[in-house]
Amino acid sequence: MPTKSHVITKDQSLFSFSELTTYKELFWMLAWRDFKVRYAQTFVGLLWAIIQPSFTILILYVVFGRFANVQTGAIPHIVYSTCGVMAWTYFAYVMTNAGSSIISAQAMVKKIYFPRIIIPLSKAVVGFIDMGITAVILIVLMIFFEVPVSGNIIYLPIFIIGSIVAALSVGVLLSALTIRYRDFQYVIPFAVQLGLYITPTAYPAEFAIQRLPEWATVLYFLNPMAGIVEGYRWAILGTELPHMMSLWSVASMLVILVAALLYFKRIDGKIADYV
Amino acid sequence: MSDSNFAIEVEQLSKLYSLGSTNATMRESIAALFSKNSKKEESFWALKDVSFGVKTGESIGIIGKNGAGKSTLLKILSRITLPTEGRVTINGTVASLLEVGTGFHPELTGRENIYLNGSILGMARKEIQAKFDEIVAFSGIERFLDTPVKRYSSGMYVRLAFAVAAHLEPEILIVDEVLSVGDAEFQRKCLGKMGDVTSSGRTVLFVSHNMEAVRKMCSRTVWLEKGQIKMIGPSSEVIDAYLSELKENAETVRPGERSDREGSGVLRAQEIRFSNPEGTHLQSGKPMKVEIDYQGDTSEKLTCIATLGIHDENGRRVGTLSTKLTRSLIDLGNGDTLTWEIPRLSLTPGKYFINIFLAHRTEADVIDWLQQAAAFEVMSASFHTESDEVYYEKDIVFIDHSFRVS
Repeated sequence: MPTKSHVITKDQSLFSFSELTTYKELFWMLAWRDFKVRYAQTFVGLLWAIIQPSFTILILYVVFGRFANVQTGAIPHIVYSTCGVMAWTYFAYVMTNAGSSIISAQAMVKKIYFPRIIIPLSKAVVGFIDMGITAVILIVLMIFFEVPVSGNIIYLPIFIIGSIVAALSVGVLLSALTIRYRDFQYVIPFAVQLGLYITPTAYPAEFAIQRLPEWATVLYFLNPMAGIVEGYRWAILGTELPHMMSLWSVASMLVILVAALLYFKRIDGKIADYV
Repeated sequence: MSDSNFAIEVEQLSKLYSLGSTNATMRESIAALFSKNSKKEESFWALKDVSFGVKTGESIGIIGKNGAGKSTLLKILSRITLPTEGRVTINGTVASLLEVGTGFHPELTGRENIYLNGSILGMARKEIQAKFDEIVAFSGIERFLDTPVKRYSSGMYVRLAFAVAAHLEPEILIVDEVLSVGDAEFQRKCLGKMGDVTSSGRTVLFVSHNMEAVRKMCSRTVWLEKGQIKMIGPSSEVIDAYLSELKENAETVRPGERSDREGSGVLRAQEIRFSNPEGTHLQSGKPMKVEIDYQGDTSEKLTCIATLGIHDENGRRVGTLSTKLTRSLIDLGNGDTLTWEIPRLSLTPGKYFINIFLAHRTEADVIDWLQQAAAFEVMSASFHTESDEVYYEKDIVFIDHSFRVS
């Protein structure tokens, strides 16, 4: 019980960063629980985590690499898109699970106090398992197709941090919106489905720049993952540096981050009244 | 400034709930933006200007009818929701026994759940480790420690959950007996735990419908009504005043018109009739029939658990009639009458009150719960012999018996 003495009033912020640090253990505990429940106790869980990205990669290869014959330079299409899928998988997992996390934790939220934001935040950890599985597939493919690792790899952490921030921003915002407006529950799977295609996972973002009018290109890059996925490929495969347009992705991510924090803070004290 | 002698100081606390708007859809919200004469939201004060203090080491009871604001008060004290106005100053760590089992995950083992639940309740990992053996011993589930809790019986589940909660060592303990699901054994454990906490000089806030327990445990009691403090003072005085008002209420207001009820309200008790099929008045030793008419908005029949609790004039529970006791469910719909039949009434002459409870499939899903719903009077006794009205004044029940010398 971290708070010794406190005052409760209507203005009191239920969410302060100094308080968050005292709930560190709960954060890891919730992440550990998700991990246990998802992978550790069911063989099917682990199997599923391998099957899902494998099939996504295969289908993207058939549709984009074979049917549409998307050219990806010196890098085989399947390696190119696997790298994109790796970045996208993490984002999709964290956004989906964080987005619905508070609704799923209703029983807890109604009965006990702790900073609510920990629930969506804790989802960021387990997403790395899925990402790791896709990373293994990527490594196997890179060895098979003899694609060397780029020297840019030292910059990879920047993009990983970028995807954590992007995924959590969207996830926290959705978790708060879902409490207020249940309709958002239906938005999440839809966003994941669309996102796979409007994010440059299986084709270069260059396509969008060349083939869309400028205003549409800006819209395209407002997807925070657009720039990040390109960044992953630059860091791992040594493809071209993300286009300047990617700055729109960064800007959009920051706007979503601020919006998420503000909106979450606004409804934080009322969560138990809404769920 | 707050006085440090107080463990809890509540100052002009108010909480406004708006009705119906909590689960607004996007469409409604957008529509509201554009409509000029937007309908004023209906709202009500669940708490209004409540002020009181609880001294460190004191046990205080909170009583009141359903919907009086007890639960809202607890939610604010345990920081689950924020007040609309006013403030609460809390000196000390708080834990509540309404948190029992919170965050338990069915797929995880008992061992894993102890750690998970402990940290959700605010215990540090080290603290859990230090108390682990004690928790396990208290719960009595040693053999099933590495079994997923989904395979536990509900009794085991509750025991483990309670064991974790009981090893929190808060300076202020909040007990909501109203919400605590569980069997008599569990309720007794809760009360026992409270006793320990009180005797170790910590502060207890106890919400209950069990007047005997409040009288025993708490030196002072707060009586809430319609979100306000109706009376505060020594427990016996407050409880006596509360009980006498309940009696009046039960005798004069038709159940269908009462608003101090809890539950979804899909079905509501309208009328309650007591009768003795063999005579004109209720009589010990004779049959008794209780008929409850239900009405509601539902067109289909609901599968229900129904319970009828009988209390004496002092608020002490005398007995319970329940479909649960025979592990059965009943189908009840709009316009139906639920009839309870007692073949041989064993209550001594006197006045009694009933609480009626109706829930959908599980006790957690309350449909209609009305306390002190009606009163009945057992007029005369003919339990042991047909004509003789002899009985001991202090007795509440007759017990069938025989005797012999050998």
